[in-house]
Formats: sequence, structure tokens, C-alpha cells
Amino acid sequence: MELTIVTPEGEAFRAAVDRVVFPGTEGEFGVLEGHERFLTPLKIGQVEILQGGATRLAAISGGFADVGAEHVVALVDTCELADEIDVPRAEAARDRARVELDKLSPNQSEEHSFKMQEQALHRALVRLQAAGR
Amino acid sequence: MANLKDIRRRISSVEKTQQITSAMRMVAAAKLRRATDAIVAARPYADRMRDTLAEVAASGGDAQHPLLEARAEVERVEVVVLVSDRGLCGAFNSNVLKAGEAVAVEREAQGQQVTLTLIGRKANDFFKRRRAEQIGKSVTGIARVEYGHASEVAGYLAERFVSGEADEVVLAYSEFVSTMTQTPRTTTLLPFAAGGDAEAGDGDEKLPYDIEPSPEKLLQILVPKALEVQIFRSMLENQAGEHAARMTSMESATRNTEDLIESLTLQYNRARQAAITRELVEIVSGAEAL
Repeated sequence: MELTIVTPEGEAFRAAVDRVVFPGTEGEFGVLEGHERFLTPLKIGQVEILQGGATRLAAISGGFADVGAEHVVALVDTCELADEIDVPRAEAARDRARVELDKLSPNQSEEHSFKMQEQALHRALVRLQAAGR
Repeated sequence: MANLKDIRRRISSVEKTQQITSAMRMVAAAKLRRATDAIVAARPYADRMRDTLAEVAASGGDAQHPLLEARAEVERVEVVVLVSDRGLCGAFNSNVLKAGEAVAVEREAQGQQVTLTLIGRKANDFFKRRRAEQIGKSVTGIARVEYGHASEVAGYLAERFVSGEADEVVLAYSEFVSTMTQTPRTTTLLPFAAGGDAEAGDGDEKLPYDIEPSPEKLLQILVPKALEVQIFRSMLENQAGEHAARMTSMESATRNTEDLIESLTLQYNRARQAAITRELVEIVSGAEAL
């Protein structure tokens, strides 16, 4: 089964894999070869790629997955494999988002920026989690 | 005839200009390469996004999304003008600015209200003087286009469209045809057109996808993303076009300085020769007078 992860900045991953676990909006789901074709949205989270006995992790931010029997394609905003994650940068992003979140309150007028910062924090945390293992 | 010193000074000043223009040309060429690489890298994502959206829109049947709905009556139009931050790139920016201004004038003639979203400092400079009160958002200082820039703009436009502050969103940008050609274009961003070709297919479309949890939910995610992708692509094309235009205009500027230096050198030599002749005549006639 071939897994391709595509971002707007280019292809982030393409290789034959044995199994992959995606963070779907309706919960995590695993895909093995020969899966029925389906399309589903993804949320910010970790992708678990099982490749010849070894597990690789990647941090993605939202997108969707197009699952087929032989090909699985994930279109996501960003994707970083665990060993590519820039930990200091993720930490800086996390701290920045926390500071911003402290200043804002989730009320009407600031709802939009609050959500933006919340997502930024979420992304940073997922990155750190993926890199940490 | 100008004196020797003046001509010499002009030659050295033109030479300095030439150094600058040829350096700018080389920088632009390097940046152009990077910019076209970015366009190529973005293509698989954009293509897949378009195909998927077309398929979902076609198979979902009655699945709807607010960004896809055309308004019966268009009263307010948001004109997005996308240009570069910097000048010295020929007519690249002014072509797009003119196209944007033309859309605004045309829509106003139809009695519609026009608001502006400007990307690139040159757009801000241009419209600040003539339509300052219509500028709603102005984005400047993008050194290198990233997806985040596009999604921010897309989010802003989608919000304005959904809330009814804009009934239609039109984009004026410059299409990157080739290094030599960049064509100013205007295109409708919203209401979003979900991939025309798949929709044109006959009515009994098969449903190849099992869509989880539902086509509606998926469209909610897909449509805003497709808008982001379209804006991202326009921004990338704009970036490549800017560098291409700067490269060609700096190339011709460098060529002009060469011509100028040549004709100034000729003038200089003539003046020098004239001065020598004059001195000789003076010496000879001085000798004769003795």
C-alpha cells in the first residue's frame, strides 16, 4: 500500500507502508491494504506510519484523507515527520500561543483570534508530542 | 560641447547604475527559480484538491455550502487586488492595479458598493490616494509566500461573504504565463465554483467514495480549503511574475546602460581629440607669431 502525504508546499511523504493510523475528526482510524475507498476529514494530530516493523510518527494539521485499496493520499496543511520537527521552534510557538491565549478571552469580540491561538497551541503541542517519542 | 570632466563623471555614474541593475537582475533570476519551484511543488496538492472537490460536489447531490451559493442580487462587491511590495519591475504592478481599478469602476457604474482587500504594498500606495475609505484590509510585507498567508486572506474573505458584507468577491492578479509574459487577470473567488468539468458530467454519477461522516461535513472542510488553495496559487503566480518582470526589466535596463556608456565614451573621445587639436593649433599659431 502506498501512502502519500501532500501539503501545499509539496509532497511531504511518499513510500510503501504496511499500516497507517490517521487522526480523523470522528476519531482515530487505521488503514490496512485493501481498504474500501473512502474520504474523510482529518484533524490536527499525529499520523502513525508502520513500515516494515518500525513505526514513524508525523505531526499534521487538518486536512482530509482519500483512502483506496492500493493508494492512500492525505492532503494536509502541514506535515512534519518526527525527525524533521524543529523542537525549539515548536516550543517557541507553544509559549507564544500560551501568552496570547492568556491575554484573550473566548468572548464574542475576540472569538476568532482566540480560536486561532488555540489551534496554534494545539499544533505546537502535537508537534512536540510527535517529536518526543 | 560638454567638458571632459563632466563626461567622465557621467560615465562613472552610469557604470554604477549598471552594476546595480545587473545585480538586481541576477537576484531576481535566483528568486524566480525559487518561485517557480514553489509553483511546481504546490501543483499536486491543488490538482488533487480540485478533483476531490469536484467529485464530492458531483456525488453529494444536494450537499450545499454557503460559499458555493450565488446571491440573486449583488449589492456589495469585494475587490481583491494582488500585487507586489516592491517596484522596479516594469509595468507588472500597474497592469494589475489598472485591472483592479477597472473592475471597481465597472461595479460602481452598476450601482454596487465596492470594498477593497489589498495584498502588496504597491496596491496600498495606489488605492490610498483614490479610494482610501474603501480599503478594508491591506496585507504587506510578505517576503516569501507561505500557505499561512493565503489561509489568512481566505478566512477573512469567507467571513465577509458569509456575513453578507460582500455578495461577491473578485480577484485581480497577474497570471504567470512565462518568464516573458505575465497577464493581468480578474476572476471570481466567491461564490466559489466547484470544479466545472466534473459537474458537467451526466446526471447518473456513480458514487465511488464512501464519504465519512457525510458529504455536507466534508464540504464544510473542503470548500474553505479549496478557496485557500486558489488564493495560494494566485499569490505564488504573482510572486513568480514579479521576479520574472523584474528580471526582464533589469535586463533591458542593463542593456540601456551599455548603449549609454558606449555613446558617452564616443563623446568623451571626440571631446578629448578636439581639445588636443585645439592645443596643437594654439602651439603652432603661437610659434608662427614669434
